[in-house]
Amino acid sequence: MSQSFYVITWTDVLVSFILVAISLGLIRWWKIGLEKTLLIGTLRTFIQLAGMGYVLTFFFRQRHWLFMVTLVSLMILIAGFEGYRREKEFRIPHYFAIVTGSLFFTVFIVLGIILKFILDVQPWYYPYAMIPIAGMIIGNALNSTTLTVNRFIGELQHRDQEIEMLLSLGAPARVAVQDPLRNSIRAALIPNINSLMMVGLVQLPGVMTGQILSGVDPLIAVRYQIMIMYMWITTVIIVDILVLAFVYRQFFTPRIQLRRHLLLKKHL
Amino acid sequence: MNKEPLFRLTSVSKSIAGKTLLNDISLRIEAGDFLSILGPSGAGKSTLLRLFNGLDSPTGGTIEYLGKPLFSYPMTELRKRVGMVFQNPVMVRGTVRDNLCLTQRWGQPSVDLTEETLVSVLSRVGLSPAILDQDTKTISGGEKQRVALARVLLNKPEVLLLDEPTANLDPQLARHILRLVHQLFEKLRLTIIMVSHDHSLLSNYTTRIAFLIGGKIVEEGAAGILEQPSTEAVKTFLAGGVT
Repeated sequence: MSQSFYVITWTDVLVSFILVAISLGLIRWWKIGLEKTLLIGTLRTFIQLAGMGYVLTFFFRQRHWLFMVTLVSLMILIAGFEGYRREKEFRIPHYFAIVTGSLFFTVFIVLGIILKFILDVQPWYYPYAMIPIAGMIIGNALNSTTLTVNRFIGELQHRDQEIEMLLSLGAPARVAVQDPLRNSIRAALIPNINSLMMVGLVQLPGVMTGQILSGVDPLIAVRYQIMIMYMWITTVIIVDILVLAFVYRQFFTPRIQLRRHLLLKKHL
Repeated sequence: MNKEPLFRLTSVSKSIAGKTLLNDISLRIEAGDFLSILGPSGAGKSTLLRLFNGLDSPTGGTIEYLGKPLFSYPMTELRKRVGMVFQNPVMVRGTVRDNLCLTQRWGQPSVDLTEETLVSVLSRVGLSPAILDQDTKTISGGEKQRVALARVLLNKPEVLLLDEPTANLDPQLARHILRLVHQLFEKLRLTIIMVSHDHSLLSNYTTRIAFLIGGKIVEEGAAGILEQPSTEAVKTFLAGGVT
């Protein structure tokens, strides 16, 4: 084999729809009832990523730090809106601000450390590093906060009597929800910690696979992957703790009363 | 000089999502009262009880505790002084000891939670020290209710709020729990506010009764009003009819 990496053409991508067709056939056979959603998801992936390719090509040509910071901020705002949309059925006060603020803080801390101290890219806003890494951090943080907040609300719904019992004994709000907080963060962390345990043994992670397929030396690819794994776990811990630190307060009045009405789903 | 009552409720109302649960309730509770709030299910009894320790706020009217607005007290302190036992005695995971020592999770407990203190509080509620290290999953409903009572007593409360504490117990056990509550009332000089829909067991224990029907106090007085109620709504309720 003479070529150093495999170039995938648009025709090849269309052929990959065979995989989707298999999935569609299976969920139809089992009457799972998600055909339309899967189809829409598949098409959205195609359109969004194809569009992103062209957009990225444009972004990578830019050479101004303000452009890059604005771009990352815009990505965070969109993620914040998506996070808010996912929890819309519960009317958590200030949720958009909480998620967006937590994402901003987390992204700039983690991204800052990676760009400045690990990759040491020059200039620090070098788009080939900044955009994909920011994207990974934001995406991972968003999924994790959704998981954590959903679990937290579920815990509150099931343990409302226990929480009020603790409040009635004189517990501060933070102590009354200590177990739900801990369980929610653990639920979000465990899959990530499991990935840390299993990576390289069973599973070859996406970034590393992509790099190797693109012809990068595996020893360089694994170094990137190690950094990314550490980045993921740190992102999840920082963002989940931050979001929950603000979210749990929304479920209590200043008189330390549980706002039970927030535990009911809003009919959309 | 006119002594301030323990609680003074003036024109208290409570509405949730446009539905009135409590309507224009005025009530004076003196230190040392054993007040039973009686009424049919859905009358607003538990809603009223939750106002006394600030687990809920009224939407109208005022509540005073010892002459000061209830919500002017730091809530965590007030709730130690006004303890509450719920209808469903919720236990946290772990042993009876874990449940009795819950207050150690925050701040300074009201009493030193030594072995001696725990044994003594268990004996007050009629439980043997052997139960201390049992998992709460393995104890009965009546035992859980007594552990819940002991847990509140460790806060050294001045007032005990009881939300249908005998609702899930058989009649014999219910009588036992009521006797126990009455002993605590006499020995510890507690003020007790108890909510119940079952009047048959109360006459021997309570000093005052308030009938709450349809979110309003329709009649209130000494325990004797159980025998001679003056309003039709209370007569119907006591006769077991729909009010």
